Amino acid sequence: MACEQEEARGRRNGALGVVPPPIGRWALKLTRRRFIQGSAAAGAAIAGSGFLFGGLDSIVRSPAAKSQLPFVEDFIPTMCWVGKQDCGMMARRIDGRVVKFEGLAGNPRNAGTLCPKGQAQIGAIYDPNRVKTPLIRTNPKGTTGRWREVSWNEALALTAEKVNEVRARSPKMVLWQKGRSKAEKFYDDAFVNAIGSSKLGHGAYCSDAGYRALEYTIGLHGVQHPDMRSTNYLLAWGWNITNAGGNKFCWITWPQQLVAARERGMKVVHIDPRLRSAGPFADTWLPIKPGTDLALALALCQQLIEMGYLDRPYLTTYTNAPHLVGDDGLILRLPGEGDEMVEAVWDPASAGPVRAGSIESPALEGTFEHAGGSCRTAFEVFKAHVVGYTPEWAADITGIAAGDIRTIARDFGDHAMIGSTMVVDGIEIPYRPVSIMSYHMAQQELGFQALRAMTIVTMLVGAVGAVGGVMSDFTWKIHKNYEPFGDLRVDDPPYDFTLKNSKFFPINTGFPGMVAKVMADPGRYGVEEIPEVAILHMVNPMASFPDRKQIMEGYDKFKFVAVISPWLSETADYYADVVLPSATIEKYEGPINASDGYIDATALRIPPMEPLFESRGEIDIYLDLTEAIGTLFGEGGYLDEINKGLTLEGEFALPLYVKPTVREIFDRWARSQGLEGVSYFEEHGVQVKGPIAADKRYGYAVDPPFGGALHRLYGESLLVAQRTMRDKGAEEIYWQDYTALPTWRQLTFDRSPPEYDLTLISYKQIEHKQSRTSFVPLLAELSPGSRVDINPSTAAARAIGHGDPVWVESQNAITGETRRIESVAAITSSIRPDTVGMPHHFGLWTHPVNRGQGASPNEIFYTGEGYMGQTADQSFHVKVRVYPARGEG
Amino acid sequence: MAKYAMAVDLDRCQGCRACMEACKIENNTVQSVFWMYVFRLESGEYPDTKMSFLPRPCQHCDNAPCVKVCPVGARYKRQDGLVLTDFERCIGCRYCELACPYGVNYFNWTKPERRQYLDFDDPGIAAVTGGVLPPYQNPDLAVKHGEEQRLTAGGGHFKGVMEKCTFCVHRVEKGLQPACVATCPVGALVFGDVEDESGEVARMLRDRAHFRLLEEAGTRPSVMYFGGAPPTGDSKEIETVKARV
Repeated sequence: MACEQEEARGRRNGALGVVPPPIGRWALKLTRRRFIQGSAAAGAAIAGSGFLFGGLDSIVRSPAAKSQLPFVEDFIPTMCWVGKQDCGMMARRIDGRVVKFEGLAGNPRNAGTLCPKGQAQIGAIYDPNRVKTPLIRTNPKGTTGRWREVSWNEALALTAEKVNEVRARSPKMVLWQKGRSKAEKFYDDAFVNAIGSSKLGHGAYCSDAGYRALEYTIGLHGVQHPDMRSTNYLLAWGWNITNAGGNKFCWITWPQQLVAARERGMKVVHIDPRLRSAGPFADTWLPIKPGTDLALALALCQQLIEMGYLDRPYLTTYTNAPHLVGDDGLILRLPGEGDEMVEAVWDPASAGPVRAGSIESPALEGTFEHAGGSCRTAFEVFKAHVVGYTPEWAADITGIAAGDIRTIARDFGDHAMIGSTMVVDGIEIPYRPVSIMSYHMAQQELGFQALRAMTIVTMLVGAVGAVGGVMSDFTWKIHKNYEPFGDLRVDDPPYDFTLKNSKFFPINTGFPGMVAKVMADPGRYGVEEIPEVAILHMVNPMASFPDRKQIMEGYDKFKFVAVISPWLSETADYYADVVLPSATIEKYEGPINASDGYIDATALRIPPMEPLFESRGEIDIYLDLTEAIGTLFGEGGYLDEINKGLTLEGEFALPLYVKPTVREIFDRWARSQGLEGVSYFEEHGVQVKGPIAADKRYGYAVDPPFGGALHRLYGESLLVAQRTMRDKGAEEIYWQDYTALPTWRQLTFDRSPPEYDLTLISYKQIEHKQSRTSFVPLLAELSPGSRVDINPSTAAARAIGHGDPVWVESQNAITGETRRIESVAAITSSIRPDTVGMPHHFGLWTHPVNRGQGASPNEIFYTGEGYMGQTADQSFHVKVRVYPARGEG
Repeated sequence: MAKYAMAVDLDRCQGCRACMEACKIENNTVQSVFWMYVFRLESGEYPDTKMSFLPRPCQHCDNAPCVKVCPVGARYKRQDGLVLTDFERCIGCRYCELACPYGVNYFNWTKPERRQYLDFDDPGIAAVTGGVLPPYQNPDLAVKHGEEQRLTAGGGHFKGVMEKCTFCVHRVEKGLQPACVATCPVGALVFGDVEDESGEVARMLRDRAHFRLLEEAGTRPSVMYFGGAPPTGDSKEIETVKARV
C-alpha cells in the first residue's frame, strides 16, 4: 500500500514538476505529532514605526508577536467538508488549534493540493455565526425565525415526539431530505431504514436526467465522462472545465487529469453558450443556443452515419441496433424457453427472424417482410429517424454553423480510430479515443433525450466502454434501474407524493420541486397523502433549488420540520421548528470513496478538533435521535442497519443493545477491512488499494462484456410508456418526449413573447459550492456577489454599462407568470448575445456576510410543466428580458 | 546558496485562485489584501473571444525598484533572491509602493486584527483558540528569519507598515514550498533554485520559452511565465475580487 502511495506521488511529482528536495512538502511526512522548537521571537516589545500613525494601540505589538515558543505543532489527516469529492487534507495544528488545511499527498483525488474552497473552509469552521446550540422556534413559520436556545435533550425529545406521531400512522409521511450526504450508509440507508421514512435527494437539480439517460441506454449510474488518460478528442459539453468537474467529482481530480491530457495533445471542443468555463482550454468553442443540445447531437448522429463512421461489430453485438422493429414501433418477439418471448433479429442466412443472441451476424440494416408485415432493424429505424437532422437543419436551431457541425462530426469520427485496439493489463480492448463530457448539462427540458442522443453519438463509433472512450462510473457496474427501465410501470392513482410510477413520470428522479408542487395541490396529481414531517440534512431548498415560490408553497404544508445544519439555513429560517447544530469538519464521517477513477481508495473524515460550540457530528445526532425515537436498538434498529450498511458481521458487528461512540463504529469497520483499526485512518487519512484493473473499468473488458446489459439504441419501453400514459389520460406535455428515439421538438420556453428576447442560464463558480459557501467570508471576497453576464452588443442595445444595476425579468410561457430580480451587469464577450448567465450561489440572507450579495436566478426559474424534463428533473432555462434598474424604486 | 525563482505555467493555470486563498491563510493577511493575485483576462470580440489567467505574486526582482527607494533599508534583497520587508524597520513611507510597477505592495492602514473577516472574539471560539486573531494565526510569522535574523515573514503584524509576498520565507526556510505553490491543484506554480540544473525551474528554462512581466522596466523579475502570452492593451479583466489590486 505504501508503495502504491509512493507510486501515485511519484507520478504526480514527475507530471506536475514539483521541485525535488530540499523543498519538499511537509504533507509527505505523515508524522502524527512533532515538536517544533521555534527560534526566538522575544524581540523588542515595541513596534518600530507605528508611532507615525496613531495612538497607543499602534505601538503595542499585536498578538501575532506574543506567541509563546516553543509551541506544539501536529498534523491530523482529514477530509474537505465543503465540496463533493471530499479531498484529503492535513490539518496543521498549533497547540491543538487548527491553523491551516493543506492537501493530503496520498489521497488520489487531490494529490496534495486544495482548491480555494478547501483552503477557505477554515474561516467557516471558526465562524461565530454558526448555530451554537439547538434551537426551537418561537414564532409562526413562513417568515424569519425567532428562536429559543435549548438543550440537546429538549430538541431531540421534541423531534422524536413529532416523528413518532406520524410514524405511528404512516412512516413514509416522514420525509428525510438531503442535499449532500457524506456517509450514505449512515444517513440515506441506516437512518432512513431505521425510522422507515421516505427520502429525497438533490439530483433533479444536478445531473440526474443524465444519470437516467445512461442507466436507460447503457446501464451505468453516471453521466458521460472521458477516459482522460487516453482520450484524444473531447466534446466538452456544458460549464464544467475550470468551474466544476467531472462526473462524480467536485473539481481537482478533473483539472489534474485534464492538464495532463492536454499535454498529451487532447483536443477540446467546448459546447456551451459561455466560453468562460473552458477558457483557454478550448481549442474550438461552439457557442450553442441554450437547450438545443439534442438537435446538435442528432445532427452529429446523422453525419456520422452519412460519413460511415460506424462500429458495426459493436452495434451488432452489444446493442439492440439489429433487433427488429415492426410498423407499430414495437420490437418483434419470438417464443423462447417456456413462456418467455425473446426479441428477434434478422438472420440473413435463413432470410428470417431468429431469436437475438442465437446467431453471430444478424443484419444490422435492412427492411424485411415477415408474417404479412414489414419490419426493420432498430438501426434502420434510427437511420431513417435522423436522416432529416442535417447540419443545415441543426444550424437554424442551435446557432452553430452547418460547416462547423460537419467538421466536428468528421474530426470525431476520424479520431475514433474505429477498428483499433489497445492492450491494457494484458487484455486487448477496442481503442476509441473520443469522448463526451456532459456532467451538469442534463438539467434542461429535453435533458434525458439529449443525453440519450449524445450517448448514441459515442455508440455509433463504438466508444462506450472502450479505451479512451466514454466512462460513466469508476467501475463498470450495471445499475439496478437498467432492468426495470426496460418495462416501465405506469400505475393507476393514487400515487405517492413523489409521483413514482405515475402517468406523469414513468422514469422519476425524485424531484423536490415537483414534490412541493404536489404538496401544494395533491388532488391535481392523484395523490392522497402528503408528508407531514421533514428532516433536512445538509440541504437548503429555499436557497439552492428553483423555484423558491414553489418550494415555499410546498414547505408551508409541513407540520414539523427539523433542520440539521451548522448554519441557520434560509430554509431553517422560514420553516424549521427545531434546528440541530451539526459540526462542519470536526467529526468522524465516512467511509468516503477516494478514487480518482484509476486508483481505488477509501478515506475517512477524522476530526481535527472537538466540535465547536455545542455542535455534533451527524452520526452522533442520528444515534441520539434514533434513541429518542426508540429505533436505535434491536433488529431493524439504527445499529442493526449500520451493521448491514457497512457489512459489519461476526466479531465486527455492533452489539444491538449497546450505544457505541462513532469512533468505535469506525474502528470496527476499519478492522473489518483488514486494517488495525480507525487508527490507520487517524494516521494516514486514506487507504489506497491500488489501480482499478482494466477488466473492472472498461465495459468491453468486464465479464460478461458491458456487464451483460444490452445497450438500448432503440427505447421501445419509452414508446410503450407513452401509449400507456396517453391511455391513462396524461397530458401531452408529460408524454411527448417518451419516444423510442430521441426526437427534437420546439422548446417550451421559446414560446414566451418576443419581448423576452434573452435566455437565462445559471452556472457554478469555482469559488463556491451550491449555497453553502457564499457566506464564507474568504470566498465571498473572491467572488463577491450576483451578476448577469451579458454580451457587449446586447448591453449596448439596452444602454447597460458594466457594473450597472439591472432587472432580470423572466416569463413562464405556460402560465404567463413573470418574476424579476435585481442584479449587476457584467459585460463579457464570452457569452452568446442572445443569452445571459448568472451564478447560482447567492441570494441568501441569514448570514451577515450574505448582505448585499444580490439575488439568485433560482428565484426566477420555474418548476412545473414545460420547465422540467420528462424524468422529473428541473430545467434551468427561461426566457428573460434585461433592463436597467437605475432610477427605479 | 540557492537562488529562488518561480515558474508559472500558463498552459496549466485554471484561474481557480486557490493560490490566493492559501496565501491569505498561511500569511494571515487581512481583508482585501492579496499578496498573490490571479487575473482573469478576456480579449477579442465574440465569437472570437480568448480567455487567459495570470497569477501575479511579488516578482522578487533582481533589480528591485522598491529596494532602491527604501530610505531605511527595510526593503531588501536577500542573496537567495527573496525580496523582503523588515517590519521592525519599515517607517511606512510607501515609497516602495510607488516605485513598484507591479502593484504588489499593500499598506497596513489599520490595526490588522481589526480587519479580520468575522468577529472571532466570540467566546465560543476564544475558548478553543485562546483568543488569538485570526483563529488560524500562524505562529511562524512571528519568528525572525534568515542569517540576518530580521522580522520578515507574514506582514500583517503592525499598523503603518508595508507588506507584500515573501515567497513564504518562513516555509522556504523550513524546506517547504510557498503556500501558493503547495496548494496549486494543477502544478501551474513551480518554485525552486533556478541555479540547480537538475531542478524543475532550470529544466523549464532550458526547454521552453518564457516571458517576464514588464521586461522593459528592467526590473529583472524572478517570476517567469511559460506558455500563454503577456497581457496586452486589448486584455480586459473580468471577475474582479474585493481586493486592493
